[in-house]
Amino acid sequence: MHLTNEELIDYMHGELAPQQDAAVYEHMESCQACRAEYDAELAMTEMLRTHAREDERELPAAVKAEIWQRIRNARPSLWNRAASWVRPAVAVPVAAVIALAAYFGTSYMGPQGVPAIEAGYYLQDHAALNGTVPFNDRSVTPTDLMNAAPVDNQQAAVAVPPVEYTADVTH
Amino acid sequence: MLRTSARIFFSLLLAVALTGAAPAADPAQLLRQAVAAYSTYSYTGQVQSTDFGTSRAEAVLFRIDHRAPDMTRRWYLAPESLFGDSIVSHGDTSYDIDQHNHRIIFTKDDALDDQVAVDDNFGLLMHNYRPEMGPDENVAGRSVLTVLLVNKYTGQATMRISLDAQTKLVLEKLRYSPSGAVAEQMRFEQISYERTFPAALFSVPSAGYQVLQGSFHGLPSNDLRAVVRTAGFQARGPQYLPEGFLPIAGDVSDIKGVRTLHLLYSDGLRSVSLFQNARGAAVDASHYSVRSAKVGSHDAKLLQEGSTTLVAWAAANLHFELVGELSREELLHIAASVAP
Repeated sequence: MHLTNEELIDYMHGELAPQQDAAVYEHMESCQACRAEYDAELAMTEMLRTHAREDERELPAAVKAEIWQRIRNARPSLWNRAASWVRPAVAVPVAAVIALAAYFGTSYMGPQGVPAIEAGYYLQDHAALNGTVPFNDRSVTPTDLMNAAPVDNQQAAVAVPPVEYTADVTH
Repeated sequence: MLRTSARIFFSLLLAVALTGAAPAADPAQLLRQAVAAYSTYSYTGQVQSTDFGTSRAEAVLFRIDHRAPDMTRRWYLAPESLFGDSIVSHGDTSYDIDQHNHRIIFTKDDALDDQVAVDDNFGLLMHNYRPEMGPDENVAGRSVLTVLLVNKYTGQATMRISLDAQTKLVLEKLRYSPSGAVAEQMRFEQISYERTFPAALFSVPSAGYQVLQGSFHGLPSNDLRAVVRTAGFQARGPQYLPEGFLPIAGDVSDIKGVRTLHLLYSDGLRSVSLFQNARGAAVDASHYSVRSAKVGSHDAKLLQEGSTTLVAWAAANLHFELVGELSREELLHIAASVAP
């Protein structure tokens, strides 16, 4: 039993109820197919965000051409035809991600191909959670104004509501 | 008899009036009033804020218009790269208006609405720090009452707060590093209290700007068990924290699909954040000057922004980032205790 596309998208945007959110997360930890589908949706979302911010960071024409070439070449292969459960929507964003990764280099990728998280995210999140500590307002440092672009990971961060559990926690 | 008592009383009253003596101020009460003053008084002024790193400093100068309880506009005057930019805050939502790039970045921080957490953390502050009255001074042409916050365990003054004697608004704030050097300074250069402001002062332009979503921070939870379980992996916590520090809040975010746990520890005045993920997502520090360090036997990256330090390392199949305004040595000590 796999997750539906709607469930994955709602999960990505943090719109599921806490219990359902936890169930989707647990399912994806053990289901490679759903994990791949989720990663593809994420890649697609990132591509759309990049497109929306095109005014800020215009890609060189050669890179754009390469992305479109890869998209055109992303015809269903023999493997793809055999694996008919894989949706065609996967190939397009994956090709785009490969081209973008080639352009931006590997410094943004972790050792297992996991995207690295910008240091600015941690600094901003630390400052935000400090909002309730008395006399600790550090909002005068206008990070988003000082940087050429706002901290990229912030726009991709989705808060996950805590789930009430009855079991004891040991860690 | 009555006449004699009355004469003594009035003599004493006259003596007090002549010598200018006043009842001693209660520093704890002053601090409570200072926390409330921001949402009580409207004012306009000019502020300089400086963040001192270990070898250099960053400063900003801005004009501030504040309409109580929660509408604020900061107009940046310096450095030159920020001149003309401003930040408008409406409660928990802020709009960074970047004139140079014709864009507005809006951010939201639900923690700013959490009055219960503010009260709890004030209690923690009073538990760990001893407020002491300092000498009366003048800041921005106003008489101020000065309160020193002395750490009960180390005996060191950690912060000096100067409050407007009349309104109790914080007009100057100095935070000290463990060595005694000043780590941060916020100071009003001038201030005047206003009763009304034009509404347009706090409006956000709608035409000619690209609007971008910045950070959205949900309400952090103080149910840390639930937060840790939500993370979905075997999380670690520090075995060592400076005296007085407690875990006070936490949240979980999915950042590009990487579930990240954030736990905040504080003694009511200083704080440190521990982030961790189990997906192998390392830190991208390409925009910062990075130094190498060791956390126990593990290689670590260390970077600084003003007085805030970030330590990043990997251990026990987790990636960690520790962020705080404590000394580098103290942060590395805490980090080494997370996954020894």
